[in-house]
Amino acid sequence: MNNTSATPTSQLSKTIWRIFLIIMGVAFIFLIFPYIKTVLLMLVIAWLISVILNPLVDYFESIGFNRALAILTIMAIILGGIIALIIGIIPTVIKAVESISATLQSDLISNLTVQLEQFFQEKFNNPDLARDLMTKIGQIGSQILVKVASFLKNVGSYIAFVGIVPIITFFLIKDRRLFKRALVSQVPNRYFELFLNVLHKVDYQVTKYIQGQAIDALIVGLLSVIGLFIINLIFDNPVPYFVIIGMVAGVANLIPYLGPYVGAVPAIVLTILNNPNNVGYIIFWIIVVFVLVQLIDNNLVSPMVVSKSVNMHPITVVIAVVIGGNIAGVFGMLFAVPFWGIIKVTMREVSWGLRSYKLK
Amino acid sequence: MNHPLWDPISAKNKSEMSDIMQILAKVPIFSDLDSKELKEVEKIIYHRKYKKGEPIFRMGDPGLGMYIIINGAVEIVEEPENGIRTKLAELEKGAFFGDLALLDEKPRSASAIAMVDSDIIGFFRPDLVDLLYRKPRMGIKILWALSQVVGERLRKTDEQLTNLQREMKAKRHE
Repeated sequence: MNNTSATPTSQLSKTIWRIFLIIMGVAFIFLIFPYIKTVLLMLVIAWLISVILNPLVDYFESIGFNRALAILTIMAIILGGIIALIIGIIPTVIKAVESISATLQSDLISNLTVQLEQFFQEKFNNPDLARDLMTKIGQIGSQILVKVASFLKNVGSYIAFVGIVPIITFFLIKDRRLFKRALVSQVPNRYFELFLNVLHKVDYQVTKYIQGQAIDALIVGLLSVIGLFIINLIFDNPVPYFVIIGMVAGVANLIPYLGPYVGAVPAIVLTILNNPNNVGYIIFWIIVVFVLVQLIDNNLVSPMVVSKSVNMHPITVVIAVVIGGNIAGVFGMLFAVPFWGIIKVTMREVSWGLRSYKLK
Repeated sequence: MNHPLWDPISAKNKSEMSDIMQILAKVPIFSDLDSKELKEVEKIIYHRKYKKGEPIFRMGDPGLGMYIIINGAVEIVEEPENGIRTKLAELEKGAFFGDLALLDEKPRSASAIAMVDSDIIGFFRPDLVDLLYRKPRMGIKILWALSQVVGERLRKTDEQLTNLQREMKAKRHE
């Protein structure tokens, strides 16, 4: 390029052209988003799994394994575990759904309604309020059951999804550095060190955050299962499906502030539906278990394993979860906070990079 | 070690080495690595092309890693904000610079600018740290060689400082 072409007018037209291209690009992404939503979701899930598994693969590589073989070994072990879990869990989930449906249609609900009507009659002189409340609860319960049932019916269609994710994960781990080099090669020399440095910092912090969250979820899940198991031992099995409830509690823990309720509420509801003796006393102990798990998590586990670099205000968490839920349903709700954490870390590191590097 | 059975094979491997591999093998911090390990290094380096006059990094930028000149020439200059630009060195094919940034993120002490159109490869600290986790034996070889390079520089600086002190003392006595 000769010097005469780099006039201020041509620079301005270049800038306008770039802005136009960026706007068109963003508009194009919004336009095709509904069609690529599933692919994006697969990529995000595969990337998350790859981030969680990468340290294990690195460890295997450090003791002499070939990288591809290390990935295949780890994925085979995990896939085997998942298949065993599915074989064990799916019949239990189906049984649970059937059992809850039966309970909802049984006398328990009508008995509860009668008791509530009496309560509202005595306290507020308005039994209709109790009837409305029970109708609403019944409707919500039915909606959830319909969704669970339709999910179970469509398990076949998820197999393709489940089959493709491990393949993407394999290549994301194996060729991680190749992808990074391909991305960095597109960056002009002027921004090369800045981009690479920010990329490394974001990658490091995001990786630590996601790995920390995964370990935290695993520990919270395990502690919840142990707590509920002890209640079952002492009170003659009042909490059904405690393993599933514990796992849900672990996963729900990804959502700060709101997660613990997502774990405790199903345990309490299922115990009420199970209608054991001393139900109030058992509910008290369930609450104690979840409070204890949260205390251990907040004071011991979380400070050790979860990076503090993405601390968020509760309002930010609620807004992120609502937006995530609107965009991608339950997955969106679960991953909204980690995703916002990634954006926050990226913005902070980009700002650091722009302040630290002389770009002139 | 010379062995009649292996000599032809190792010779063939050497002849198949790319230009980059050959240059890498001559860089002191990679000098202890075998060809398999050099291939591993080749996977994590970044190959860049710089135009004449284009900066590779600027004085004061956070240090990220070292560069090796594959083709071309680079000048190392001091560019104080309100001072005079001083050329510190001119480096040519095979030379390396910025190696101290492999150890920490301290700001660059000088700028590196391409004197002619140049092919340069970069090897960066985060990739070295990653390599230490994945291939500890190899990582230790690189760190060991790097510590020798840094030690050698320190020794030279020490000598220069001692000479300077002697000269100053002599001038004072005059």
